[in-house]
Amino acid sequence: MRGGRRWRTFCRNKTALIGAGLVALVIVAALGAGVMATHDPETRVEASPVAEGAERAGSVVRQPPSADHWLGTDENGFDVWSRLVHGARASLLTALAAVGFALLIGVPIGLWSGWKGGLFDAAIMRAVDVMLAFPSILLAVAIAAVLGSGSLTTIVLAVGIVMVPTFVRQVRAAVLQVRSREFVVAARAIGARDTRILFRTVLPNCIAPILVLATLSTGIAVLDAAGLSFLGLGPPATTPEWGVMLTKGFKYVQRNLTWLYLPPGLAISLTVLGFNLLGDGLRDAFDPRSSR
Amino acid sequence: MVFVLRRLLFTIPLLLAVSLVVFALADVLPGDAADQRFQKNPSLKQEWREKRGLTRPFLVRWGEYVARAVRLDLGESYWDDSPVSTDLWRRLAGTFELTVCAMVLAVLIGGALGILSAMYPRTPIDYAGQIVALFGISIPVFWLGMLLLTFTINVLGFPFESNRLPHWLEADSFGSHLYLFESLFTLRLADFLGCAKNILLPCVTLSTIPMAVITRMTRSAMLEEMGRDYARTARAKGLRSRKVVLKHVLRNALIPVTTITGLQFGQLMGGAVLTERIFGWPGLGSYVVEQAVDRRDTPILVGGILLIAATFVLVNLTVDLLYALIDPRVRRQA
Repeated sequence: MRGGRRWRTFCRNKTALIGAGLVALVIVAALGAGVMATHDPETRVEASPVAEGAERAGSVVRQPPSADHWLGTDENGFDVWSRLVHGARASLLTALAAVGFALLIGVPIGLWSGWKGGLFDAAIMRAVDVMLAFPSILLAVAIAAVLGSGSLTTIVLAVGIVMVPTFVRQVRAAVLQVRSREFVVAARAIGARDTRILFRTVLPNCIAPILVLATLSTGIAVLDAAGLSFLGLGPPATTPEWGVMLTKGFKYVQRNLTWLYLPPGLAISLTVLGFNLLGDGLRDAFDPRSSR
Repeated sequence: MVFVLRRLLFTIPLLLAVSLVVFALADVLPGDAADQRFQKNPSLKQEWREKRGLTRPFLVRWGEYVARAVRLDLGESYWDDSPVSTDLWRRLAGTFELTVCAMVLAVLIGGALGILSAMYPRTPIDYAGQIVALFGISIPVFWLGMLLLTFTINVLGFPFESNRLPHWLEADSFGSHLYLFESLFTLRLADFLGCAKNILLPCVTLSTIPMAVITRMTRSAMLEEMGRDYARTARAKGLRSRKVVLKHVLRNALIPVTTITGLQFGQLMGGAVLTERIFGWPGLGSYVVEQAVDRRDTPILVGGILLIAATFVLVNLTVDLLYALIDPRVRRQA
């Protein structure tokens, strides 16, 4: 019953639906990249007769948009539209993997820390303080440098590790709210073991804030991953990934080759916007008090 | 006072831990500065490592670093053996100036938008505030920087120089590294305008995220306080609506807004690196990334991150002191 009411609250929230739509769009692009792409994202396109307006006659490099290449070609002669849809896959997977990593590490630590309290909790919270005292993007840069720059795995780990302290703190806060409620006390009274209470009783009641945090964090992860690419720690320059495309496009800002820097930036912005709207909508649906 | 002292004492282990973590990170990196520096004649590598004491155990090197750092000596570069402190301070000043300007802009516009949105909900100003709050955290700052750059260069023809100083000034015509603030306070107006012109674009770019966060926070804090009993009482006794909002509600809403502003300031000091890269602004973050990551110059990496972390801690301490100023209840407790 309560689930149904939440669902209806969510559906009445227009901005949340827009967010869900944007996220769905990115997921469709990521899943269907193979079908939606008109060319291979990492193969130089063949010279076409549409050389009008191209830099040199017969050149396939940096062609403006045309019927054959909807968003033109880049400096390697790759089709920008195809790279954009394949980039959805890379960027979305990177962000989801980073958030997954943060969940995997942050949720158990936060649960245990909030549940046990005492010395363990104090130690964890001090460690979280230290990590949060770091400028997050610089910490990610340092981690990426340690892991060896130049791959998506590095970016996933760097972005994921930086997110862990936030997850620990939020999950801990949620546990503290739940731990003294009657049903938890009852579970303890009938003699359930710690791990059982934590995962069967406490965790299900903390799902809402975790879900909201994970949604909002996915947007942040997309931004951070693109930022690391921009600082030169990302995957190789030919990889179809939005951050890489944007970094390449930066060189052509002064020459105003719009098709090289507008599409990837717009794609990142709309994706992040989608996750932010969706996250806000979920929060309003789960917690009616916080809604306007 | 006791509270402040305790907080100050707590920053010491915090900064020690930060330096230890960065030191350890730099140590586990594959290869080292000697590999980069003596690529041409590898025979010099070992001799240089011995000379700089890099063959000693990790904890000994860290201990020595800390012992020097407390005297504000951040060591010598691994790249050319020159002291790094001067460069780091100058770069820190660059980032600090940029961050302060961006925060001032963010607080002014974000705060105003937040207050107006809360006073006039569901009006165009409210929607404008919500759009700022949403797009500010959704658009990658470096992309926004690119767009601003193209727009000003290609459309407006604005004479942007990617430097802190205008072309007619030299760094040694200033006593400090805070060129913008110094020229303002010594009333060198032409120089001030020159510096202000160059800081304008990076400042606007950097301010978007904190502006979004502050707008949102101010709006929700104001709305929450407006629903409280004291606000209703104030209105019931016949106080004008604007006075209720600006004198009673705003004061109470200021606490969460101050907290978030302090946190944003700290994040910005490091987060400025992307903006610095786009506009060629000589700041600390971009320096750390260029020198430390590409050249494996550990003293610059550790020193730079320590300085940023120290600023972050100091800003948060200032925020705690501000609470006492804003809220008399906090004063009485302390």
